[in-house]
Amino acid sequence: MGLQDLRDQICIVGVGDTPQGSVPDKTGDELAIDAARAAILDCGLKKDDIDGLFVQPSYGRQGDYLKVGLMLGLNPRVGGAVEASGATGCYMIQHAALLLHAGMANYVLLVYGTNQKTNRNRFGGALLEEHAPYGAFNPSLPFAFAFRRHMHLYGTTEEQLATVAITERRHAALNPKAVLRTPITLDDYMSARYIVAPLRLFDYCHITDGGHAFVLTTAERAKDLRKPPAYIRGLGRQEAFRAYETPDLVMQSFQQQRVAGMIFPMAGVSPKDVEALYVQDAYSPAIIAALENYGFCPVGEAGRWIQDGRIALGGELPVNVNGGQLSETYMVGWQNTCDAVRQLRGECGPRQIANVELIMCTYTGGLREHAGALILRR
Amino acid sequence: MGEYTKPLPVIEKWNAPYWQAARRHEFVAQRCRACGYVHLPPGPACTNCLSADQEWVRLSGKGTINSFGVYHQQWHPGFKDDMPYNVALIELAEGPQIISQIIGCDNDKLACGLAVEVTFDDVTPEVTLPKFRLA
Repeated sequence: MGLQDLRDQICIVGVGDTPQGSVPDKTGDELAIDAARAAILDCGLKKDDIDGLFVQPSYGRQGDYLKVGLMLGLNPRVGGAVEASGATGCYMIQHAALLLHAGMANYVLLVYGTNQKTNRNRFGGALLEEHAPYGAFNPSLPFAFAFRRHMHLYGTTEEQLATVAITERRHAALNPKAVLRTPITLDDYMSARYIVAPLRLFDYCHITDGGHAFVLTTAERAKDLRKPPAYIRGLGRQEAFRAYETPDLVMQSFQQQRVAGMIFPMAGVSPKDVEALYVQDAYSPAIIAALENYGFCPVGEAGRWIQDGRIALGGELPVNVNGGQLSETYMVGWQNTCDAVRQLRGECGPRQIANVELIMCTYTGGLREHAGALILRR
Repeated sequence: MGEYTKPLPVIEKWNAPYWQAARRHEFVAQRCRACGYVHLPPGPACTNCLSADQEWVRLSGKGTINSFGVYHQQWHPGFKDDMPYNVALIELAEGPQIISQIIGCDNDKLACGLAVEVTFDDVTPEVTLPKFRLA
């Protein structure tokens, strides 16, 4: 048995979300429950059909697996917490797929809820405790390193990077769920303040409250449910605790290239078959890294490659057509996979990619320890 | 001189020799007696071969700037008078990479690939931070 046996065997059949942005009257756990209810309704199951549950912990002691399980009133056969920072949502989908394929569960529910905007999560901690004496706060630092180095090695410019934020904002303008929908220009981008230079305000994700949930099942069971399934065509992941010891630490090349080497053969497709890409973009250089490391463009060329509408809706490879985390909502990748499923169903209205059949979602997490990806098909 | 208000290193079992050496203005790393691998941050075993047989060795203190960021947003009150300040990823000549700061140089003179060497900042009577300056 190989990984290819899993190809197209498991589906995302339900997606659920809540209002995003500022939701001051709800705790993170309430938002998780609201999203779970919406996802169960979306696929037409009853709550007690769910026999697998995974919960992503969130800021302020929200998302505790035991508490959320109690609130949901479930007795799942399998479940638990998964903690892999920004890659958690991806890893949960993969765990669910393996459990479903092995027959240990029939319908798995995944949930995430946070009220970290209302509770003012400033992301002000050091990446590692040992970095704090040097003032190395906020998770954006490795991305600032990465983009500075990209500029140094390949001549990439800040004006080129601006295309990521400008494009995502333009996508968000087409998305009623998006929190930031006012278009921005190159002037707006360049005149915004630096946060950790060379990154500016618009290179940063926008912290939000909100919840997301997914229901997964087998391809066979998916036939009886309400919505067309999104088949998991491929999956891949790579941990990298030794990333610190590699000279290309900041470019994420080791991890993401390993994921690419797993996911494309499993899916039986190549990057040129992928019709849309969703990147878990806590900071805009994540797009540069993913495009290069997954083989959508040659290493070093992403700054030029993303110009002239190539990553915009209607372009060669639309990226984060929901607005991504820079403009739609910061749900550590959950919002991207949710949008990818809706795109495959044709539910996306003015931001719909015509007849889209194959979408890739990439995630990274931690300092550089986690990388994962999914390829979904209609 | 006012009270030092920036975060201080948390000194524990594995990193104590590193900070004790810095106090003496010596820049050190762990080296594996089994395979010779030089590594930081300090830990109970070699990250190459997992041998527990580790020694502390002095490093040349030379390296290059792999990359750097310049903080225009202040996340900690202790850095108020330093804004904007740099944080750099240094590739040490012996292999490990560490996060530190480049001092004695305007931020707009910094560049990836520049040669740097260690210098010691005695921030409190007990604590010295290894930092870097252009070589």
